[in-house]
Amino acid sequence: MPKVTVRYYRLKNKLKEKTLGLAPRGDDEISFDEDILAQATAALEDMAEDYPDWVSTLIDQLADVHRRCVDTPEQRVPLFEQLHSIAHDMRGQGGTFGYQLISDFADGLYAFTDKSTSTSDNHVEVIKAHIDAMRVVIKQRISGDGGEVGSEIKAGLEAAIKKYMAQNA
Amino acid sequence: MNNIDLSRMCVLVVEDSQFIRSLIVNSLRVMGVGSIKSVDDGAEAIEFIKLVDSNPMKAGMMSIDIVISDWEMSPVNGMMLLRWIRRHKESPERFLPFIMLTGYSEPQRVEDARAMGVNEFMSKPFTVNALADKLFSVINKPRQFVHTASYFGPDRRRQDVPIQGEDRRKLTLKSPEVEVVNA
Repeated sequence: MPKVTVRYYRLKNKLKEKTLGLAPRGDDEISFDEDILAQATAALEDMAEDYPDWVSTLIDQLADVHRRCVDTPEQRVPLFEQLHSIAHDMRGQGGTFGYQLISDFADGLYAFTDKSTSTSDNHVEVIKAHIDAMRVVIKQRISGDGGEVGSEIKAGLEAAIKKYMAQNA
Repeated sequence: MNNIDLSRMCVLVVEDSQFIRSLIVNSLRVMGVGSIKSVDDGAEAIEFIKLVDSNPMKAGMMSIDIVISDWEMSPVNGMMLLRWIRRHKESPERFLPFIMLTGYSEPQRVEDARAMGVNEFMSKPFTVNALADKLFSVINKPRQFVHTASYFGPDRRRQDVPIQGEDRRKLTLKSPEVEVVNA
C-alpha cells in the first residue's frame, strides 16, 4: 500500500452553525443585515473624523525622530527604522479617511527610509520635506487629491527630493 | 432571507496601530460580533491563543473562531503568527480561519500569504463591506484543508476552473496516496 502523501480535511462547519443555526440554507438565502452594515459604515465614518488628530500625533512623532536624526547622526540607522515603521502605519490609511495625499507622502517616506537607502544629510532633508508636506495637508485639511493646492504641495515635495538627491549624487 | 447572526462569534484582532485596531474592533462590535479580543502583535496573539486553550475562563473567551491580523508588526508579524497557527506543534487549532489585513497588495505578497495557509486577504484601506465579505466567505464558504509535504492550509483551488498549462495534480481522490478526513 503506498504511503498517504495528501490529506484533505473536510470539517464540519461550526461557524455556520453558530451564525445561522442547523437548518440547511442555500447561499443566496444568506446575507448580512443591510441596516447593521449601514450602521457599521456610519460608525466607521464617525471615527474617521478623528483621523486628522490621530495622524497629527504621528506627524509629531516623525518630526521628533527627524530632530534626533539631525542631533545624533550616529543613531540614524535605528532612527530611520523608526521613521520607516511610522510611515508604514500611515501609508495604508490616509485613503480610507479621504486623505490620499497623506498616504502618498507616507508611501514616499516609507521608501526613503528603507534599509537599503543612505542615511546622508541630504536624505534627512528629504525626510523633513515629507514631514512638512504632511503637516500642510493636515493643517489645511486638504482631502482627496487636494486639487490645485494638492498639486502644488506635491510639486514642492518633488522639487525638494530632486534638489537633495542631486546633491547626494 | 436569513441574516448572519454574529452574537456567538469570538474574534481575535491583531493590529499594532491603536487607531486602526479601534476601527476594526468598533466595526465588528456594531456588526454584532459577541466577543472581541484585540492585541498589539503576533507574540501577544500566540500567548492569548494558548491561554484560551489552557484556561478559557481566565482568557475571558471560550474559543477563537476567526483571527483578523495585520501583516507588518513587530516583533512577531502576521506571517509569523499564521505560520505558528498552521504549523507549530504547540498550536491548539491549526484550522483556525485567518484573515490577513495589510497595506501591501503586491501579487508576490498575496502568493506568500496563500502559501502559508491564509484563508482571506484584505487590503487596506478597508471598508465595512469588505470586512463583511471576508467574514461571509469564512463562515459560509469554508474550503477543505489540504495537507501535503510542502503545504498545510485551505485548498487554494476555490473553483473547479480549467487549468492553464500543465496540471501538476497527479493524484485523484481515488488514489491510494490520498486520504479524505471528515471530521
